[in-house]
Amino acid sequence: MKKIRLFFTAMLVLLTAGLASAQSVTVKGTVRDAETGEPIPFASVVLHGTMTGVSTDQNGDYSLTVPSVDEAVLEFSFIGYRTVQVPVEGRLLVDCELEVDAMALEDVIVVAYGSTKREAMTGSVTSVEGDKLAEAPVTSVDKALSGKLAGVLISSTTGQPGATSTIRIRGTSSINASNSPLWVVDGIPMLSGNIANSDVSDAQSSLMTSLNPNDIESITVLKDAAAAAVYGSRAANGVILVTTKSGKEGRAQFTARVKYGVQWFKSDTGYRPMTAEELLTYQRTAAINAGYDPDDPTGTYYRPMSLLNGELTDYLKFFTKLGQVQEYEISARGGTDRAKYFSSVSYHDNDGVVYGTDYQRIQARVNADYKLLKRLETGIRVNVAYTDQDNVPTDGLAMENPIFSGQSFMPWIPKYDENGDFNTDIPSNSNMNPRASAQWNENSLESYRLNGTMYVKWEPVKNLVLETRNSAEVVFSEQRLYYSEKAGYNNIVQNIKNKVVQLTTSNTANYANVFGGYHSFRALVGQEATKYVQTQDVYQADGVNPQIPYPNTADQANTTISTGITRDALLSVFGIVDYNYDSRYFVQATLRGDGSSLFGAENKWGLFWSASASWNINNENFLKNFKPLDLLKIRASYGVNGNNGIGAYQAYGVYATAMYNGVAGMLPSTPENQELSWEKNATWNVGVDFAFFNRLRGSIDVYSRTTKDMLLDKNVPQTSGFSTNFVNAGSMRNTGIEFQIDGDIILTKDFVWNVGFNIANNKTKILNLGGEDLIEAASYMHYVVGRSMYSYYLSDYYGVNPSNGEALWVTEDGKLTNQYSKARKYYAGSPEPKYVGGFSTTFSWRGLSLSAFFEFKGGNKILNMNEMKYLASDGAQMILNQSSAALNYWTAPGQTGVNPKPVAGNSSNSNDFTTDRWLQDGSYVRFKELTLAYSLPQKALDKMRIKGLRFYLSGQNLYTFSDVDAFDPEMGAAGTVTSIYPYTKSFVGGIELTF
Amino acid sequence: MRIMKKYLVFIVAFAAVTVTGCKDFLVEEPPLSQSNELTLSTYEGLDQATAGAYAPLAAAAWYGGDFILLNEMKTSNGKKYIGSDFDTGRLIDWYNMNYTEENTSALWGYAYYVISATNNVIANLTPDKGDEQDLNNLKAECLFLRAFSHFDLVRTYAQPYCYTVDASHPGVPVVITVQASTDKPARATVAKVYEQIVADLLEAESIIDPSYVRAGVKDQRSAVTLEAIQALLSRVYLYMENWQGAADYATKVIDSKKFTMWTPEDLQDAACYRLDVQTEGEVIFEVYSNSGEAYGGGNEAICSLTSKNKYGDGGACADLMNLYEDGDVRATLFHSEESKSNNETVWWTAKYLGKGISSPDYSNTIILRLSEMYLNRAEAMIHGAEIDGASPVSDLQTIASNRNAAPVKASLSWSDGIYLERQKELAWEVHTWFDLGRTKTAMSRTDFVGNENARTCAWPSNLWAMPIPAREHTANGNLEHNPGY
Repeated sequence: MKKIRLFFTAMLVLLTAGLASAQSVTVKGTVRDAETGEPIPFASVVLHGTMTGVSTDQNGDYSLTVPSVDEAVLEFSFIGYRTVQVPVEGRLLVDCELEVDAMALEDVIVVAYGSTKREAMTGSVTSVEGDKLAEAPVTSVDKALSGKLAGVLISSTTGQPGATSTIRIRGTSSINASNSPLWVVDGIPMLSGNIANSDVSDAQSSLMTSLNPNDIESITVLKDAAAAAVYGSRAANGVILVTTKSGKEGRAQFTARVKYGVQWFKSDTGYRPMTAEELLTYQRTAAINAGYDPDDPTGTYYRPMSLLNGELTDYLKFFTKLGQVQEYEISARGGTDRAKYFSSVSYHDNDGVVYGTDYQRIQARVNADYKLLKRLETGIRVNVAYTDQDNVPTDGLAMENPIFSGQSFMPWIPKYDENGDFNTDIPSNSNMNPRASAQWNENSLESYRLNGTMYVKWEPVKNLVLETRNSAEVVFSEQRLYYSEKAGYNNIVQNIKNKVVQLTTSNTANYANVFGGYHSFRALVGQEATKYVQTQDVYQADGVNPQIPYPNTADQANTTISTGITRDALLSVFGIVDYNYDSRYFVQATLRGDGSSLFGAENKWGLFWSASASWNINNENFLKNFKPLDLLKIRASYGVNGNNGIGAYQAYGVYATAMYNGVAGMLPSTPENQELSWEKNATWNVGVDFAFFNRLRGSIDVYSRTTKDMLLDKNVPQTSGFSTNFVNAGSMRNTGIEFQIDGDIILTKDFVWNVGFNIANNKTKILNLGGEDLIEAASYMHYVVGRSMYSYYLSDYYGVNPSNGEALWVTEDGKLTNQYSKARKYYAGSPEPKYVGGFSTTFSWRGLSLSAFFEFKGGNKILNMNEMKYLASDGAQMILNQSSAALNYWTAPGQTGVNPKPVAGNSSNSNDFTTDRWLQDGSYVRFKELTLAYSLPQKALDKMRIKGLRFYLSGQNLYTFSDVDAFDPEMGAAGTVTSIYPYTKSFVGGIELTF
Repeated sequence: MRIMKKYLVFIVAFAAVTVTGCKDFLVEEPPLSQSNELTLSTYEGLDQATAGAYAPLAAAAWYGGDFILLNEMKTSNGKKYIGSDFDTGRLIDWYNMNYTEENTSALWGYAYYVISATNNVIANLTPDKGDEQDLNNLKAECLFLRAFSHFDLVRTYAQPYCYTVDASHPGVPVVITVQASTDKPARATVAKVYEQIVADLLEAESIIDPSYVRAGVKDQRSAVTLEAIQALLSRVYLYMENWQGAADYATKVIDSKKFTMWTPEDLQDAACYRLDVQTEGEVIFEVYSNSGEAYGGGNEAICSLTSKNKYGDGGACADLMNLYEDGDVRATLFHSEESKSNNETVWWTAKYLGKGISSPDYSNTIILRLSEMYLNRAEAMIHGAEIDGASPVSDLQTIASNRNAAPVKASLSWSDGIYLERQKELAWEVHTWFDLGRTKTAMSRTDFVGNENARTCAWPSNLWAMPIPAREHTANGNLEHNPGY
């Protein structure tokens, strides 16, 4: 306290001392645009190193009193132009030409608890503007970020509209705690993930979908400890800051947007189910190889050629259709010097490519800011959304998953029954037909979401801003599932109601000032508290009346209800200190203490901190006048973040209810664990930012993040009564390098060619697993000390025996065997990519622009084991269609490099799912987007009395270069997803009108 | 400056208040569960913990399904109709006896879960918690469940008792105390495991109130009673070749007169296997299953896997069906369906047809019943046990006469008579495989379509003991591997 006062006093003395010694001389001049020569009004002219300054008038003229014409340096700046410093050198007339800041080096970007000029950043940060996200026909903003930011890997386990994505910033840092970044929207940590989370259904409904991509002004991703540490807890996996659009001074400006598109499913990999001819040949061969006669009507494998004479169906085609996307939106933006607003309302509808899937959203936002008094401001950010989603199972080997059934239904199975209804007499699929299920079953999810934030900002004395931000996020969702007898069920009704409330208050005091001319200083202290409550009510009733499919009509004995409640709380205090000298040397330090209810009584609090520095070499005198160099900055940081991303109540040793024989008994459910505490993540980062010729901008970052005291759900002997126990044990490390560059290759008045490229490499290494050498994530996938995050552990498949077509494996001592159980198991690779990145390019000529965007990923393995076990079964599956991957099989002695010969009823386990036979290179390049847009020229707009009109046509996911035996190489972080709702291709057109 | 001071004071004070004053803010206790202390410190809590300890018996890995299926599919009771409409790929490894440490019975975790739940209760049954007999009844239930779990473990993961002369070969860890997650118990010898099982059951028998049945249960036959304890002892002694013990305990149960033989009418359409609750008839102890229970049911459960309406991978073998003579009512305990894709009739046992509640359905699993007591006693007597007024022939005749089966032959031996009767009567009730193993009898089957290696199983063979699960080896380095895997 005393020290702080002393510091402020000293600063004040310095400031007044500087003012007192002034000797007045007046300097005049004009500020012009360097290219056009036109004068720039309202440009700022400041005496460098002081707060003294003026603005230019309508003609770009200024006049400023300076203390000494010999030593004074003037600093000219204006939004969108690069700041220039001009020594007066005894002149009384100083004109200045400003160059356009094409590389946006002086843009203000949003960072933790504030904003800063890009050049002032000490941490590793990347950002993307909202308008770069809005064109893709995606339902949520996370999907649109894919491939756009170096080191940010976005993958999906399903392409279903409204589904969640997996986001990894700089790799995976934890085995059992969360690996997802923290989303902060307008300064408030926001819920993310899947609202439809329940034991009952695998439907996904991303919380991110309530955000309209068009409402977003910018997104900043905080990657290293320095940038993120002030979010301490939960910042271990990076932070994504989203800023929504604010109002602007001026008359109301309306923007109307219309978008319409079609989507369809097509695989580019060549992978497909067999045709009827191929399958019949395959099955007949398999029957003969097993010693059966396929033409014997009483035989076990009766597969006559006449099957081809009946109706044949391409089931994948039958189960998919043309999808549609439509979106309508209107927004208004405007304000006065005291009140500003932005508001929008939108409707989005995505009718999926699979029967029974649909996603609709109605969303509205109001952002308003009011200046109540000269030093008192308040505002709100309110977003409301209603979503309505229809799902069918589109993941895994579910009988009703149309993506799997589309591959596994034999083409000669009839589509319809004699009544013309969808055939449900399909014993090979337990009498399930995805079309019948889509028609008769229900799986709908409605949600209502409110995000409301209000703030009050008060500047009681100059340079000190007190701010309070308070927000409520409320989500209510109701999922209804009905399984009809017409689709092969017992008229079962399930209903899941979820209520989530998160209340946050964030209060900060920020002091910023420039002292003694060159010492810029900022200090922020703050406090935050968050309370989270989730309540889930589930009921299920079996055997309801199909006319009244509600629990009222079921026998009460066949009705079950249950409730889930999760509560947690987080309390934080934090501080940031920033200092820079003459925009050359920057340092920042942050400190944050977080208390979390998730941990043991004595271990709730964690202390997190960071320190960072950067040096803007280009602002040094020896480089100041070196024109081609716009920016050269070296950054270094180190910090420690925390992770508390585990389920609630893990610290408590408790019994949970277990019904048995009609009695509510109790069973041990979690072992006592009062030692449980924060997982820590220590990161260092070194980076270089550069910009040349006002055309080219880029950055390189090298980092290493080490997870310590990892929250590990450690396997324990089951003789203890538990399978796992959450402990703080083990460590892992992610190291990597990131490179991002973009620039204008051609830059003329009419024609601009811009390219952007980013690539990142991240390597995860498990250092310690709490004393174990390995932990099984699954029988085929282990966490192993010294290896990457996931290691596939597979049987060593050798190939076919060229003499008889049998499958061969390699044994432990290197010999070949036809017995699967004798095969050696080994670590066959990892799904972690060696590099990921994106490439974008835009050509614009006058109002016309053509842009393309590619993303790529390489060096990773995928394991398409579940599908292959059934669909390349070497005859083990004689009632399922097989995939094209099974086609090339052994037919004659001497053949190698082919599939084993199919044998009906094959029991050699050659199709077992845990062999390296299904391991493939998962590298791909995806031509993600091609957009042609035309904006009407100003002249035409003036005639029509509108402010802007833009048309565009855009193709998405146009082609994927990959040859995996799967529809798509994208298989989630573990590389093993099965039969998911596929990546769709789409073609979208839209109009944007501003008036 | 003064104003500034005021604000700074305010901010610091505010921060201090929020940090110190909100200590309770960071306490969130689980609302839907109960702390260990609370559960184990009162009679009510201990009673609930005992009731809960039964629940995992119904898990799909145990008597809810897989424990039955894996043991029946490797005998001539089960058949996997490969390539039929009812082949979803499940059970093929059990049928082909293709086990690895990754692919073995999941019983381990569930059985030790029950054992640890019972140990928690037993360790906290101090006299201050309530009436002595009430506490003894809880203890008897826990001892039975602990013994029963050890018994299923030792017969799954270890060679039969008779594998070595003194049963000194490795069994499973005997766990009778509350374990920490760092405890890594080694395998005890099979003799030691059986010793503990017998000790637990004898103690339970001595302390339980002879009329005790857990209050509030739906199905009284799914609760531990004096007769359940005695019936299990009869079986355990049989496995140990303690013939007199097996016969004595079977006699105690038979003479209790609490159980009556099923009649052909009871067995028609497997009616007595489809009841939600057993009140009369043969059942001494069974595992209860219904919707709304913590464990059991679903597509991987026994009802789904032996149903034409669901997965149906667990078929019945013609070898078994051919055993029944004309008129034997047990021949009606099968149901069938045509498999269209391969022109084949697929058969299943009807013992798990279910209660008709839903699809997939629920079925209780019968563990101990009166017929087994007669069969145990008959077998024991053939090996020298003596019971007044009973003979092997009369015991078997008691069963045969209630099944419309032909009269029993006058001269009986294990292989010619008893074994066959056991298979005919107890098929699909998890006996046959262990009956073969404990009597050093090789398994062979005729109606078989799997991997030829699995058509027969010699005795001895490593296959009579399943591999210890790999995950358990990883977590507990003190466990010895079973050879041959």
